[in-house]
Amino acid sequence: MLAENKLKVFGDFIKTLTNDELIWVNGYLNGIVAKAVPETTLPAVKQAANKITITYGTETGNSKKIATDFAARAKKNGIQVKLISLDQYRLNDLPKEEYFFTIVSTHGDGEPPAAAKKFYDHIYNNGFKFDKLKYSVLALGDTSYPLFCKTGEDIDDQLNKLGGNRIAPLRKCDLEFDEEANDWFDKVLLSLNSNNGAQVKESPVITSSPAKKITTKKTYTGSVLANVNLNDIGSNKQTYHIELAVDELEYEPGDSIGIVPENPLATVEAILAFTGLDKNKEIEYRDEWFTVFDLLKKRVNIIYLAPSVVKKYAALVSQTIPEAKIDLLDLIKIYPVKNSAQYEEVFALLNPIAPRLYTIASAPEAHNGEVHITVEKDEFHINDIERFGLCSAYLGELNTDSEIKFFVQKNKRFRLPADDEDIIMIGPGTGIAAFRSFLSERDSKGAAGKNWLFFGEQQFATDFLYQTEIQNWVDTGVLTNVNVAFSHDQQEKLYVHHKMLQRGQEFYNWLQNGAYLYVCGQKDPMSVWVENTLLEIIQKFGSKTAFEAKQYFDKLKDDGRYSKDVY
Amino acid sequence: MSDKNLSHIEKVKQTSDGLRGTIRESLLDEITGAIREDDQALIKFHGMYQQDDRDRREERAEKKLDRLYTFMIRLRLPGGFLLPEQWIAMHEIAGENSTGVIKITTRQTIQLHGIFKSKIKPTISAFNAAKLDSIATCGDVNRNVLCSPNPRQSTLHQQVFAYADKISNLLKPKTSAWYEIWLDEEKIAEKLEDDPLYQDRYMPRKFKIAIAIPPNNDVDVFGNDIGLIAIIENDVLKGFNIAIGGGLSTTHGNTETYARLGTIIGFTDTEEKTLKAVYEILTVQRDHGNRSDRKLARLKYTVDNLGVDRYKEEVETRAGFKLEEARNYKFTTRTDYYGWEQSNDGNWQYTVFVENGRVLDDEKVALKSALLEVAKTGKANFRFTANQNVIISDVSAGDKEVINQVLLNFNIIEHTGSASPIRKNAMACVALPTCPLALAEAQRYMPSLLSKIEPLLEKNGLQHEDIIVRMTGCPNGCARSYIAEIGFVGTGPGKYNLHLGGDYEGERLNKIYKESLEEAAILTELDGLFANYKNERREREKFGDYIMRKELV
Ligand code: SRM
Ligand SMILES: Cc1cc2nc3c(=O)[nH]c(=O)nc-3n(C[C@H](O)[C@H](O)[C@H](O)COP(=O)(O)OP(=O)(O)OC[C@H]3O[C@@H](n4cnc5c(N)ncnc54)[C@H](O)[C@@H]3O)c2cc1C
Ligand SMILES: Cc1cc2nc3c(=O)[nH]c(=O)nc-3n(C[C@H](O)[C@H](O)[C@H](O)COP(=O)(O)O)c2cc1C
Ligand code: SF4
Repeated sequence: MLAENKLKVFGDFIKTLTNDELIWVNGYLNGIVAKAVPETTLPAVKQAANKITITYGTETGNSKKIATDFAARAKKNGIQVKLISLDQYRLNDLPKEEYFFTIVSTHGDGEPPAAAKKFYDHIYNNGFKFDKLKYSVLALGDTSYPLFCKTGEDIDDQLNKLGGNRIAPLRKCDLEFDEEANDWFDKVLLSLNSNNGAQVKESPVITSSPAKKITTKKTYTGSVLANVNLNDIGSNKQTYHIELAVDELEYEPGDSIGIVPENPLATVEAILAFTGLDKNKEIEYRDEWFTVFDLLKKRVNIIYLAPSVVKKYAALVSQTIPEAKIDLLDLIKIYPVKNSAQYEEVFALLNPIAPRLYTIASAPEAHNGEVHITVEKDEFHINDIERFGLCSAYLGELNTDSEIKFFVQKNKRFRLPADDEDIIMIGPGTGIAAFRSFLSERDSKGAAGKNWLFFGEQQFATDFLYQTEIQNWVDTGVLTNVNVAFSHDQQEKLYVHHKMLQRGQEFYNWLQNGAYLYVCGQKDPMSVWVENTLLEIIQKFGSKTAFEAKQYFDKLKDDGRYSKDVY
Repeated sequence: MSDKNLSHIEKVKQTSDGLRGTIRESLLDEITGAIREDDQALIKFHGMYQQDDRDRREERAEKKLDRLYTFMIRLRLPGGFLLPEQWIAMHEIAGENSTGVIKITTRQTIQLHGIFKSKIKPTISAFNAAKLDSIATCGDVNRNVLCSPNPRQSTLHQQVFAYADKISNLLKPKTSAWYEIWLDEEKIAEKLEDDPLYQDRYMPRKFKIAIAIPPNNDVDVFGNDIGLIAIIENDVLKGFNIAIGGGLSTTHGNTETYARLGTIIGFTDTEEKTLKAVYEILTVQRDHGNRSDRKLARLKYTVDNLGVDRYKEEVETRAGFKLEEARNYKFTTRTDYYGWEQSNDGNWQYTVFVENGRVLDDEKVALKSALLEVAKTGKANFRFTANQNVIISDVSAGDKEVINQVLLNFNIIEHTGSASPIRKNAMACVALPTCPLALAEAQRYMPSLLSKIEPLLEKNGLQHEDIIVRMTGCPNGCARSYIAEIGFVGTGPGKYNLHLGGDYEGERLNKIYKESLEEAAILTELDGLFANYKNERREREKFGDYIMRKELV
């Protein structure tokens, strides 16, 4: 957001402030931004709103949580609220809406959460017009991603284009979103109550103050203590256990770390060779200076470019290019630039390399001064040529003592319960990472609660991640139950959810006794299968109807007894 | 003997509920490829050993993976006889569930290695379908019974050979645990399970029996707890000389342990008496054997503690008859009759050279495929020799050409024919990587060592001599290195005690010549010895005899 030098000045100033002063400054700044809105352009809204719709598009639950709080607050203010997730929302209702608010996060690299996709496409693809729609958007995001709050921006922008009246400016929140969000909603309520709900014509944007950014997004440098491929000869996989030494690292079990990978040297050199650029030439990119080499190696995304970037490139070189993801090298080969002077413009429109998240596999209590991750080398084929994921391949090749930068991605919704509570952990594949953290933590604290682990992979002999540690936890009684499923070891495939069902009665008993349930690892299909099986177990062993089972499951969620960290 | 100094295994046996223990539970344990400690002792009675790939230990530890536990299964094949369809079945099972290598052992049977815990049951039920079992091929019971396999040995071969089966069945444990655990069969009433021979204690230690048909001592009859020597006079089987107390294993640094050859204690003429005598030799060992120190529990020690005569009397009183004076016999060889041989019934046998008993397809020869082809013709049986080779047997004169063609196609004739005498007379035990007791390599190393010894022989013009060379990776002597003319006994990685002076026929133990030699030293020693032997040997004097005459050990 701010240029380096401004940011520094501001940052230093911020550091001198107390928390209260910070909050005051924050409010003050917001005030200023709000005033930036020319009063004159405000036509009066007829009467005060008494009926509003709050929608949310969430991937990991933050947006929903916020939306729910607001619905409650609105009700207190005597306003009727329809609260609904965007994937439940009847799209035909949209044109009929009068007061419409949405809270939406951004995922992927700059994509809407799955739950918001339908709505997102709908407002883009259907040429309808609003006449009376009054709206405002709260965007959740993470400043460590290049396309910060992209989805919120798009929706805010598109609703406006469709004739919607923005009655409170788009608000973009970083991960520490609570205050920001409340402040946004204050403004919303304000504009609703005042008989002339302020309408904002331009689209000034309020982003969480850099102050927060500095305090929330500390980058750490870790030096590699160990990097072991956990899979044995004969496995189809490579899963790296990576240990980093870091001082004064603050995290909790359940958190992840974000790592910005470097681009493969070969690719960078290929681009340099093709473009004939001087690798040492200094050029500017987003207010920072880099040598061409460093820029291509460390800063910009040159692999599998986002369609939006391809689009900009097409415009730049004025050629028609199908809007598909493509590598930079292919792009400049197939659709050459007009002259090599253009390359710098090309670089300018590239996105920064997006960080990848890795669930922390270590625990503060057990692995002092270290952080561990469990990284599966991501492998895929493009017309039969084997390719590897950028970050996982990069991490796999790190030698001991080499250093990498990372940040901690807090995950408030994935926390251990009180020490004396029982937990069930379902973590096949790299999903085991979170639970190695949980178990290490509980082990070293001597937590009294019982622990039940479900793990799965392909082959017992080669893929049983952290087998000896798990065995030790069984021997020392830390683990009460362990069930494993190895899909390739028998004719018919066997997965963790099959194991859950096999142990269904006991599983249900644990739930009845208040156990907390955690799922970590592959989102699709694993976490989906697990959830369906969970419902099946509740229904079968709790002798409930499908509907009652669903209620029971929802209750688990509401009580914070069901947490997911899936990807 | 008072309970308190009973060895742990004794307690395990007695509390095992007919060798069942907690094997079932062990099999269900999902997070380890191993089974519980005590069950590991019990599955031996079922013909299995828990092992792990010792080559992979260190790296797996780094990978936070448990040891690569697998199981070795050993078949019960009295006299080492297999029908062609059984060979085919075994070939397939080996391919599916084990390392694929079919290992012919020094006791005429077959071992499959590298079977995962989860694959044991499928493997065994496949064996069962082929009418094969692994009952009592390990553990403190009577093991696979040996018998000279080559029908060419005598017109009466079939008659003698039948004893292997009879003895094996007579001494088979009565428990049906094997069928219940591995084949999920219903438990049959306890009553039927009383085992008058083994009771609930079984033997104090493993027990081994071999039957030899002179003049060939290919089974090393004197290396067994009981050795039966068939006495054939003008084409009639008169009976058997009985030798007891053979046993080869020693333990480095334990002076109480020693290798011992069997002592002939007499002769029995009828089948009934022979079986009875054998049976009572076991009961005496059962009751008098050492059950507190397993290192001293073999029959050989019991015999020496009681004294041969006392032991004999005890057997006679229990049997209710006296053993007769031993008859004359003569052993002149121990080697297999390689290549084609015809037996008196007019059938033909082809003895294939299988280096260290490892049947597989390698760059040298596609032995495994060849034998499968042979089996598929259905025109030949398979007989394993105690020298780790296989005899393609009982081929009618009419079918001989068919088989011969297969052998030619797969280059087996060339392979067997061209192997040097010293290689054909050599044996090595399994050792690394599967054998947990191995101190040094054996079957993986022996071939290359021989390649270095062969030139030394040629240099001294001895390349045509049959010299018996054997190597074991530890002093247990699984390849009977103590009754070889040249014996290598592993003492540590790359180090072997060099034993010399055994005889060619297997009637004299060798002695340590030099300790813990590495390859270079081994070769210089042998080079010198060969040279002197060449110059100083008497007419047709065997290498082992030469060593003794010169008192070099
Ligand atoms: C496969 C075989 C060697 C071969 O390459 O052919 C073999 C292999 C093993 N022998 Fe043996 N023995 C084999 C014939 C012998 C012989 C030779 C014989 O019986 O003619 C002997 C020496 C004669 C004797 O028993 O005195 C022999 C004396 C031993 C001993 C020492 C016994 C003793 O009295 O102390 C052990 C260790 C033990 O039992 O404690 C042993 C133990 C073993 C084990 C099972 C190691 C263990 O206890 O875990 C080896 C398995 C290695 C592997 O991975 O396969 N093996 N073992 C032979 C299988 C015979 C069979 O089919 O039943
Ligand atoms: C909260 C969270 C926690 C996570 N925890 C873990 C963890 O503990 N362990 C772990 O291993 N992972 C974890 N992940 C996943 C991890 O963040 C990365 O997504 C994963 O490692 C893949 O990243 P990559 O850079 O290696 O692959 P990328 O380069 O990002 O590629 C990812 C996919 O994009 C496609 N793709 C990329 N390039 C091309 C191309 N040129 N052509 C066509 N298709 C292409 C392929 O389908 C490929 O599989 C987590 C993710 C999240 C969100
Ligand atoms: C895999 C992944 C990708 C993300 N990509 C972006 C992104 O491109 N831009 C952004 O601003 N935030 C991004 N985020 C951050 C989320 O928007 C942020 O965590 C938000 O709080 C999630 O809200 P939700 O729980 O309602 O989905 C990403 C998060 C994850 C886990
Ligand atoms: S002799 Fe020793 S090393 Fe060789 S198989 Fe027997 S026990 Fe193992």
